[in-house]
Amino acid sequence: MSTNDALQPAVSIDPMVVDAATRAFGGLAATWFAGEPSTEKRAALLQAVVDLGFADALPEPDGRAAWLDAAAILRAQARAALPIDMALLLATGERDASIGYDPGRYACAASAPKSKSADAAGIAALALGRCLQITGAMEAALDLAVQYVQDRKQFGQPLAKFQAIQHSLALAAEEIAACTAITDLALACAAREGIGSTRMATLLDAAAVVADRAVDVVYDICHQVHGAIGFTREYALHRHSLDLLRWRDALVLLRGGELRAAERLGDAALAAGGLWRAVTAVMKPEASA
Amino acid sequence: MRFHFPVFDLPPETEALRAEVRAFVADELAAGRWRRGGDFASNYDPEFSRRLGERGWLGMTWPRRYGGHERSMLERLVVTEELLAASAPVAAHWIADRQSGPLLLRFGTEEQREAFLPRIVRGEIFFSIGMSEPDSGSDLASVRTRATPADGGWRINGQKVWTTFAHRNDYAIVLARTGEAGSSRHAGLSQFLVDLKAKDVKVRPIVNMAGQEEFNEVIFQNSFVPADRVVGEIGNGWHQVTSELAFERSGPERYLSCIRLVEAALAAAGKTPAPRLRAALGRMSAKLIALRAMSIAVAALLQKGEMPNLEASLIKDLGNAFERDQIAIFRTLMPELAAPSADYLSALAETTIYSPSWTLRGGTREILRGIVARGLGIR
Repeated sequence: MSTNDALQPAVSIDPMVVDAATRAFGGLAATWFAGEPSTEKRAALLQAVVDLGFADALPEPDGRAAWLDAAAILRAQARAALPIDMALLLATGERDASIGYDPGRYACAASAPKSKSADAAGIAALALGRCLQITGAMEAALDLAVQYVQDRKQFGQPLAKFQAIQHSLALAAEEIAACTAITDLALACAAREGIGSTRMATLLDAAAVVADRAVDVVYDICHQVHGAIGFTREYALHRHSLDLLRWRDALVLLRGGELRAAERLGDAALAAGGLWRAVTAVMKPEASA
Repeated sequence: MRFHFPVFDLPPETEALRAEVRAFVADELAAGRWRRGGDFASNYDPEFSRRLGERGWLGMTWPRRYGGHERSMLERLVVTEELLAASAPVAAHWIADRQSGPLLLRFGTEEQREAFLPRIVRGEIFFSIGMSEPDSGSDLASVRTRATPADGGWRINGQKVWTTFAHRNDYAIVLARTGEAGSSRHAGLSQFLVDLKAKDVKVRPIVNMAGQEEFNEVIFQNSFVPADRVVGEIGNGWHQVTSELAFERSGPERYLSCIRLVEAALAAAGKTPAPRLRAALGRMSAKLIALRAMSIAVAALLQKGEMPNLEASLIKDLGNAFERDQIAIFRTLMPELAAPSADYLSALAETTIYSPSWTLRGGTREILRGIVARGLGIR
């Protein structure tokens, strides 16, 4: 496979996004294919795949550990709270590109896969990357919320002392744990049997459905406990919460929308002769090859 | 903050075991030996438990010298989840197999292990949990049942309540106060292995909302317990009780209580199920995969000797909420079913009536969320 072929976008994406991501991608693909792939390279590549849909750029996994390392880095990158450069913001007076939300942004990516490389493996790679990003961003949002309720005092005590606050954040943590569990399951599946399998597609449908709900809960609760400060441009929460909204759209649309993903899972249960049969089948352990 | 649910694959060998359990269940149903129904704590059938014992499916993980089968926690999970998925009558042996046995293994004397574990493994004796009292529910440390030293043992005075199947089970492990509570309130508690058939122990069933006699009040009036029926150390009761929690809260009984309702709805869905039904089913499938992956992780951690109490509490709260959602979804989707069958309607009635008990027993929703919050560092 030549580097140039690998640089063909797998799916149709807003040209401005392509342009921005291409710059970020830089000479990465060239160095990837030139030398021994390091974990950092893998992570960067996975990120690029996520950003651009370079499906063919993602090589078949040659080791579970390397995949998991790469995933950890991707998740960590999503977690990292990017500091807002207020000085730059004030100097330029420009609207921060990270502000705002366009629910139509990813619609074309899902509805119109154009090139031949937009195959199941490419879509799966993108979706898996989005799952990792979403779990990372949810953790980051929760971390901020946990810190905030310990610092902020009302009625003479930290918000964290109120049981209503404790239970709200526990709910958010539970949804994150479920979303992370199913993402990790998909990741392990990718590491074991490659990214293009039927099982992988099912797990990603399931991950999209779980994430769709989890993002709602985390978005709601993390903002709620923050009060008005979380709704501002200068406070960091929006970096994570808006990432969550965008990445969720990207994920579910890669599966054709939450409803389609759910229907496919439902059909699988009907075809298997029951919910339990279907779930045990998709999670069935395989004898090592 | 990340909780610890590492991905574990069930060993491939467990597929043979799963097939074995499914074949056994199919045979039992074909022979009409029991009806699908109830939940893990209500469908009580000692004969069924004995047949499981003959199969080697009780005390699966325990040492051979106590009659156990030295199989892994993951193999045990395969058996328990298949029995629950079939809505089999597991209530008789459930507590003994899940937590009383492991408690005796961990804290019991050699004599106690030899006296009780082999009989549990054979499905001959069944256990209840003696924790809740009229004035001590979630606040377990406030128990007032008191044990005082007597000649050759202890005298117990007080009352337990909501003690499931105490009127049919053989023994209860009773938490009682033996000393001062101390500033932590966790000191001075001890566990006793009490014979529920003893003349000086009174057991009275309390009819539940479903019209069934399942839970009881258990009254101790100078009830004698021999010294060799103290479980573990005097004063160590709190630590011992909390060590049962990971076993109690992480299992498939916390997310499979509505599986009969789901399967009955599918059977009644007709040849071309409505899109809304398919999507609802798919959403359940997705959440169930996540919950099961988490439950497998906790079983694997238990196998490694860890005590993931926090993770177990999280699974129970999430699983209970999932079960409640399922009931509401199938109730509202009833018009989409081609022909609501008698099986579907009875499952809907049963799960609806029993659902309040699921978010209470084994740790209320509020207690569980408090534990998760503590894990987040805000409590």
